[in-house]
Amino acid sequence: MSSPEVSSLAESFREALRASDVRLSKFRPLPRLLAHDDFNSGTHGWTELLGNYDGQGDLDTVDAHMRDFRPPQLSNCTFFDTGTHGALTGTYALKLATRPYPGHTATAIRRLTMSGRGLLQIEAYFTYKTEANLGGGSAADSFGVVTWDGNLHPSEAQFGAFTVATDLCSDGGLRYHTVVRYQNADAEGNLLRQLMYPVVPEPTPREHQEGKIKLEYAADFTAPNPEDWHALDEPLELCFNEVPTKVNWHYLRWVIDTAARRNVEFQLNDRVTDMRDVPVPPYAERYDSLENLLNFYFSVRTLSGARNFLYLDSVLISVDW
Amino acid sequence: MTMRQSQTAVLEKNTTLHGTFATEPFEVAWAREARWFLQIVDADGDATITLSTQVSPDGLNWVDLPGGERTIEGAALTSWAVADFGHWLRVQGRVADGGAVKVRIYLALKS
Repeated sequence: MSSPEVSSLAESFREALRASDVRLSKFRPLPRLLAHDDFNSGTHGWTELLGNYDGQGDLDTVDAHMRDFRPPQLSNCTFFDTGTHGALTGTYALKLATRPYPGHTATAIRRLTMSGRGLLQIEAYFTYKTEANLGGGSAADSFGVVTWDGNLHPSEAQFGAFTVATDLCSDGGLRYHTVVRYQNADAEGNLLRQLMYPVVPEPTPREHQEGKIKLEYAADFTAPNPEDWHALDEPLELCFNEVPTKVNWHYLRWVIDTAARRNVEFQLNDRVTDMRDVPVPPYAERYDSLENLLNFYFSVRTLSGARNFLYLDSVLISVDW
Repeated sequence: MTMRQSQTAVLEKNTTLHGTFATEPFEVAWAREARWFLQIVDADGDATITLSTQVSPDGLNWVDLPGGERTIEGAALTSWAVADFGHWLRVQGRVADGGAVKVRIYLALKS
């Protein structure tokens, strides 16, 4: 058998095994699986992101905009009207929940390192919701451009954005991020439904320590200046499903090339977007202590001030190296 | 025996409490055991904190859990366990007489 035939046979075996495994058959991974996170068995290393602090453990030294990203929760998706909804896979999902404060972001991060270079893929089944509201009179029937009409619900306009991103560092401290955000609505409740990416790297605690930048509580930590966010592809409507207590699971798949330090493509449900021309700006200065850093984070940001939630049913991280 | 699941959530980090306060809703449906830790980082004089553990059917409406009350005066670290708490937990409290207390609040959970 020739080498290409062996490779093809191996791929066929992988496909067959995956298709017979109900937990994996809903994914389309690259050949080597680094992590399969099903939140019916714990948090799987997804933990709260926190900014850096001094040698005395004084958390007052954490940057104001990075000190309150909230601990992720194992949620059975229980709501006031229908009780326990449950997840796509079993009962539990990982829930990121903001505070009810405009601009506040909840962020969960997963920390690995790279044992090679090449294609890196993250897949997830997720949903996004605004916290349900009880009471408030007829004023609560509207937010921004949405007035309750039996179909659209104001809670949809109260959901700001969710983001998936990396923090990568290689080749002697060259650090960079790849980022995709779904900007559902702005602070005024206009529905944007727009994929976006930043054209600057994320501000770091060292840059604050060096006096280069200081951000306030609830600033956008990924890229604080709205002008640094650019649209990716055409607007994309998702399935919020009318009210804040119905959960429909969405599929996300994102491929990055760590050999080329570039994005490759991003899939959200049936929309596949070529990202090869999306810039990936590295930091101008090198970073110590981060060689082969491979972090993923998910975040959710409220602009309305209503609590915003991002639920992850399951996550799969795979590579071709 | 299957290894038990566990999670510690740091619900407040160097947060300065004044007057009445409540921690953010936290989902605990999977947990059989729960224990609160309140670490006083800095206190303004002899501030007294009164605490009650609260439970909820939906994360929106809250009621005191009987036996979950505590009054704290000056202790650096206080801890108490709660049981039969349903699917949500939070702590509601009050700092007496215009005082201020900087705290960390931990919720230690186990299946």
